[in-house]
Amino acid sequence: MIVPLSWLKEYVDITLTPKELGEKLTEVGLGCEKIIKTKDDVIFELEITPNRPDCLSIIGVAREIAAIENKKIKFPQLPNILKTQKPLPLIVKTDSKINPRFTGIIISGIKVGESPKWLKEKLEKMNQRPINNIVDITNYVMLELGNPIHAFDYDKIIGNIMTVSQTKGGEKFESVDGIAYRLPKDAVVISDKEKIIDLCGIKGGKNSGTYKETKTIFIRVPVEIPNLIRKSSQALGLRSDASSIFERGVNAGGTIDALKRTTDLVLELAGGKIASNPYDLKEINFKPWKLKLRKDRLNQILGINIPLKKTIDILESLNLSPVHLPGEQRRHLDDARKGGRIECTIPTYRNDLKIEEDLIEEVARIYGYNNFPKTMPKGVIPTVQVPYFKDYALDEKVKNILKASEFSEIYTYSLIGDKDLTENNIDPEKILRVDNPVSRDFEYLRPTLKINLLKAFIQNKSNFEKINLFELGKVYSGKSLDEAKEIYYLSGITNNKNFFEVKGLLEKIFEDLGIKENSTKYIEILNDGIFFEINYSELIKDFNPNKTFKPLPKYPPIVEDLSIITEGDVKTSDLISEIKNQSPLVVDVSLLDQFENSRTFHIVYQDKNKNLTGEEVAKIREKILKSLQSKFHVKLKE
Amino acid sequence: MQIKNSAVSMIIDASDQKELEEIKLQFLGRSGKLTLTLKEITKIPAEKRAIVGQLANEVKRVIEESIESKLSSLISYFSSQRKQNIDVTAPGIKPGIGHLHPMTQVLHDVIDIFKGIGFQVADGPEIETDYYNFTALNMPPNAPSRDTQATLYLDTKNSNAQPGQILLRTQTSNMQVRTMEKIKPPVRVIVPGKVYRVDDVDASHGFEFWQLEGFCIDKNVRLTDLFGTIDYVLKKVYGEKTKIKFATTNFGFVEPGVDTYMECTVCKGKGCNFCKQSGWSEIMPAGMVHPNVLKAAGYDSQKVSGFAFCIGLSRLVTLRYQMDDLRLLTNPDLRILEQF
Repeated sequence: MIVPLSWLKEYVDITLTPKELGEKLTEVGLGCEKIIKTKDDVIFELEITPNRPDCLSIIGVAREIAAIENKKIKFPQLPNILKTQKPLPLIVKTDSKINPRFTGIIISGIKVGESPKWLKEKLEKMNQRPINNIVDITNYVMLELGNPIHAFDYDKIIGNIMTVSQTKGGEKFESVDGIAYRLPKDAVVISDKEKIIDLCGIKGGKNSGTYKETKTIFIRVPVEIPNLIRKSSQALGLRSDASSIFERGVNAGGTIDALKRTTDLVLELAGGKIASNPYDLKEINFKPWKLKLRKDRLNQILGINIPLKKTIDILESLNLSPVHLPGEQRRHLDDARKGGRIECTIPTYRNDLKIEEDLIEEVARIYGYNNFPKTMPKGVIPTVQVPYFKDYALDEKVKNILKASEFSEIYTYSLIGDKDLTENNIDPEKILRVDNPVSRDFEYLRPTLKINLLKAFIQNKSNFEKINLFELGKVYSGKSLDEAKEIYYLSGITNNKNFFEVKGLLEKIFEDLGIKENSTKYIEILNDGIFFEINYSELIKDFNPNKTFKPLPKYPPIVEDLSIITEGDVKTSDLISEIKNQSPLVVDVSLLDQFENSRTFHIVYQDKNKNLTGEEVAKIREKILKSLQSKFHVKLKE
Repeated sequence: MQIKNSAVSMIIDASDQKELEEIKLQFLGRSGKLTLTLKEITKIPAEKRAIVGQLANEVKRVIEESIESKLSSLISYFSSQRKQNIDVTAPGIKPGIGHLHPMTQVLHDVIDIFKGIGFQVADGPEIETDYYNFTALNMPPNAPSRDTQATLYLDTKNSNAQPGQILLRTQTSNMQVRTMEKIKPPVRVIVPGKVYRVDDVDASHGFEFWQLEGFCIDKNVRLTDLFGTIDYVLKKVYGEKTKIKFATTNFGFVEPGVDTYMECTVCKGKGCNFCKQSGWSEIMPAGMVHPNVLKAAGYDSQKVSGFAFCIGLSRLVTLRYQMDDLRLLTNPDLRILEQF
């Protein structure tokens, strides 16, 4: 919303400097994004939240400033619309379910022409292009008061009839700015005897607009149903100032004032005379409503005791007509009633004020959020484990092992393109997909971390020889949403470590997590590196933080190396377990060296109850050799 | 006395350890001068022997001490000589360790800070229903407040879901009702995680970014508690001098609604592209949990109250390191990662 300071000053006295005013407006909820100083004015650009359609008008912003400055709004008394003796004929058929309020009037004998300078300047400051006096007046009053208004050329309404209805879908419509549309189903439109003349709440029709030759106009000030406007506006991709207001909720009680203001200006700037009695078709009266605020509740939610007088003053400054009803003094009443309550009357332009908490916010924001003290929550700290608990300390532990092993961590997008999938031989048909992706490169949810790690690997090749990267992140599985699962994967890629180093790294991670798991199956050898990928969510289910201390041995071990020659395909892991199986006194076996067909094992013998003798070890060694010879046909190396 | 003087002067002149050893031998060795002198002590009259003996021992002590001190000064001299032979100003050789992503580092810091004030960490789904992401949060279908969160919807083919029913969460707030409906107050939870929006990508926006949701529900939780908690956390992350201001805003799931601004760390409040020239960075929408949300969770809003906030975690990270573009966080360039 663009707001010129000069226009605001017509309704409220402002003592704050533009910078102070901008900061204060932000604090009360009208986010001031820019303050632009022009030759003769200061323009504020405000971000209006969806709950405050009233602030999509100059008067709405002026009311906020009046509350900030604690001043009264100055607005001229609007003259009542005179009755006419000879009304022109016009039948209006409407339905309050799709058009809750239809206010309007006919003015005849007008002269369409250029707007006066003051009006053109005002519109130009608001980035609006002046068109002619009638259109400019309707735009001006909308900007001023926040009620959208449309002027029809009365003579173009065939059959003197206006019918409000919903479209079936597919109808043609040309907007006042000359763009042709096919209307969606359920759009609210006005038709005359022959054709659609208005796309309600969004755009007027070209066939019934106000042009140079127009002599008689019908001015319509409606209330529309937010959802219906919103749906049509979205379906057409067409937004207007009017539709923004209607879809957030227009001031339903403001149509008569807007009609008075428009009529007054038309008579002044375009001449003519009133040619109908005002139309005001509605089923309910749009009247202010009552809302109560318990003073003790206010204190309790805010955490401070704003004095009663200050509270009343704030509500008064917001034009909420507060009336304090003192609390009952009987002793047994609960606290919430002791401070009494303040009954407010909510003007129809504040349809964001519906519950007590809304009034609490009103008091708090005008009091000023930055004037509040800061406290910490007083209650007890919850001890029950929260549902959906996640142990980030475990992630940190794992990540630190990877970091210590020269791996650097990356974070990549979960959304990937179909090309990423097909290049990695994954069928996109089997991957979860977004219906409305931001682009084709980000259409699918990744089923693996490999794709992004490979990309990252290639990206870094131009700058680095040694690359070690990992990611701990979610992958998304399931062919359809019914089976969709989000699983954490831990994956890495390296061209700086060999297979055994990666294997050892994973073994180290498993060991630290207290998990017994074979790491080989997670490792893939690439042409130019090693890749690993672990289902981390699954893995950490077996996390076991328990470690039991083993007393240091009282008796020294005997250590010896055993070199053997093997024939054919013999697995080291099989040899190691075979050696270990020969005696409980063999406490550790590791591969010391390997060259061609010879392997050297490092064997540690130890008895925790006594000193081992050479003879005892010799017996075990004999047994080991025998069993290796018979099972694997190995020979002792000479 | 003569012996002492000549020994001391020789010791002072000695230029290395070997020379010192020779001097030691020359005087104190088995056939050293002092030793020989002492052997002749028998020739001295008995009444003078005590004095001569004392003197000889004194000389021996002085020579030994002189040798000791000369030795240590020689050692330090040589070691400094040795140091001069290497160029100590050359850079050190760093151990080959990797780097944790700045997101992880900040996230773990923030988690620690919240743990310190009694918050637990939860993790929730990114593939979410419309209900938990919007409707349960007092954002019913067609609420204009949904407009600010343009949503990515998932393809529902071959599934039982209706189009538009399943989405990628637009906010970690989806975990509010999910968590609350499973436990009773007091509740103090934070939920870090990825969120998705239909958005044009620029320096401060993206379609995929990180948030950290937090909420605290109990008897008598107050707006001042929200202000205090945000202030505490941001000052822990950015330092005591951090400038913070609060403003009113509107989100369906809070009332009163609060927005938190922090002085932009990239430009120190002067105004830059990252903060759209405002000098402030919007970092943390928050507010008192709306009664309708408490109701959706099965709580009685007259008996308990609470606050919720949502930290733009990606933005928090970039602001912490004065990075001027959110996209740096998803760029796997090691030249970026190695800085952390």
